[in-house]
Amino acid sequence: MILVIVIVALFALVLINVPIAVAIGVVGVVGVYINMGPEHLLNVPLTLFNGATNFPLIAIPLFIFAGALMNTSGISKRLINLVTSMVGFVRGGLAMVNVGVSMFFAEISGSAVADVAATGSILIPEMKRKKYNPEFSAAITSSSASLAVIIPPSLSMILYGAIAEVSIVQLFVAGIIPGILGGFGLACFCYYYAVKYDLPREAAFSLSRLGKAFKDATWALLLPVIILGGIFGGFVTATEGAGIAVLAALVIGGLVYRELNFKMLYRAVTDGVIQTSVVMLLVATSAVLGLFLTEMQLPQQLAQQITMLTDNPIAVLALINILLLLLGMFLHGAAAIILVTPIVMPLVIQIGVDPIHFGLILTLNLAIGQQTPPVASVLATACSIARTDMWKTTRVNLPMIGVLFIVLLLVTYVPIIPLYLVNLFY
Amino acid sequence: MVLIERMRAILEKLLEVFTVFLLLALTCIVLVAVTFRTFGNSLIWYDEIASIGLAWLSFYGANLAAIKRAHMGFPGLVSNAPGPLRIGLFVFSEVIVIGFFAIIAYYGYQVFEILAWDNLVSLPSINLTFTQSVIPISAALFILCELLSLPIAWQKMRSGVDSEHEAIEEAIRIAEEDLKGAQS
Repeated sequence: MILVIVIVALFALVLINVPIAVAIGVVGVVGVYINMGPEHLLNVPLTLFNGATNFPLIAIPLFIFAGALMNTSGISKRLINLVTSMVGFVRGGLAMVNVGVSMFFAEISGSAVADVAATGSILIPEMKRKKYNPEFSAAITSSSASLAVIIPPSLSMILYGAIAEVSIVQLFVAGIIPGILGGFGLACFCYYYAVKYDLPREAAFSLSRLGKAFKDATWALLLPVIILGGIFGGFVTATEGAGIAVLAALVIGGLVYRELNFKMLYRAVTDGVIQTSVVMLLVATSAVLGLFLTEMQLPQQLAQQITMLTDNPIAVLALINILLLLLGMFLHGAAAIILVTPIVMPLVIQIGVDPIHFGLILTLNLAIGQQTPPVASVLATACSIARTDMWKTTRVNLPMIGVLFIVLLLVTYVPIIPLYLVNLFY
Repeated sequence: MVLIERMRAILEKLLEVFTVFLLLALTCIVLVAVTFRTFGNSLIWYDEIASIGLAWLSFYGANLAAIKRAHMGFPGLVSNAPGPLRIGLFVFSEVIVIGFFAIIAYYGYQVFEILAWDNLVSLPSINLTFTQSVIPISAALFILCELLSLPIAWQKMRSGVDSEHEAIEEAIRIAEEDLKGAQS
């Protein structure tokens, strides 16, 4: 009953446009006051502070900073050129370039909207010029950007890992195979669509052009190798890897390419600070709500009640999937991760699901939820650039949502897919 | 009104510069710590100081987000509501936000009495009241940011502007501007 009141109060506050972080904090403070007494309100500022001192989350602003450096120093541009010269010759190649680029760059600045705006502004007008259907152009940009939440370095995974207290590095590793599967699935759909509608090739394959693009991007390619190699090789933690990413991007962009635009960098960094803080305030206020929920043992009660209905992991995961897909339609990804993780974690552990495995299920669900109105800011941004109607675009987007949904089902019910590399290396 | 706008712009700039400084400091701390650990000489204060740095960045950055009205929300319903209801909901949500941070500022200050006797574990020379000062200060600043950005938010609310839609248009405008800059 208390959980229902908490959820209703939360949704009521969010619907009247109280910022989600504040809505969570208000429900937490009221809960502490009513159920624990006014003297416990002294714990609120301490909990708020402790909530924001979550060490692994330092990786978030650092990866955002590295992303800003990459975007403003010519590194991203070279990587886009390389992807174009690699797959541009295939029929519908520009759509595939879009998949590759969106997957790589989405969430790199911490704001999915800003990233889709950046990549979409380049690729969507170009796709329209080449006679691609505008709705399709917006849909493929949006879907592939959403898939990026499971591709390392993923800010959503850092958030989940810090809250669920599981290894962020193992989450990154777990995302590799599903990410490749999803990307391959989207690329296959692009090819099918391109053949069906006779979409053009970019240019004939040219080994010399590929060689030139590769040479031009050699230093840029070193960046993911250094970061991901360092993290996956166990030499550095995710946070340290993020710090090294900043340094590497600064050296490559500033000293090697010498294209660092400080004006653009300053704006990108201040935007990054805002994105970080928006998420971190959510983390901090959810710690206050957690103080109250833990005292009431609500997550444990929820786990007990659901397992009384069924303790079959397949059925429980199906229930969780439905709940998360619905939640993703109404809440932003970060807010949903912060709210849902502490509540469902006892249930997940009780039915014997690996928390790393669940991390993938959670982030993929929310990625699909971000494709469905009313709260679908990534889709809305892509539609705004393509000047298309969001509902018409959603109709065109359905097969791509279908691809993401198949990946979700595979990840949920074939745990070896996300866990194979984790088991192999750890 | 001009004075309020000028104060808002000054506070926004100050918060921008301070938070960017905090981000650079945090990056330096992490890089120095990695370097020291590589040479087998780990810094004992690294985890504690870096975590506090993150908290400061988070709360002062949240002030910057507040003055820009960039916190995550769901504006769709309110911006589509009929005029009088829209005004009522807007005022009510402002009261809730300001009330919440007033409570945080008050209890954040009260808690100083308890913390006055505690110091950081890794750097005992630093008192916890200094590190925790971010809570009451940023809560008070949040209220100030909310009030200074109120006139613009009020105007937008009166004209039924959806802030999420506006943020999307702004992101696209910036991206297109950057694209033109890169091409020229």
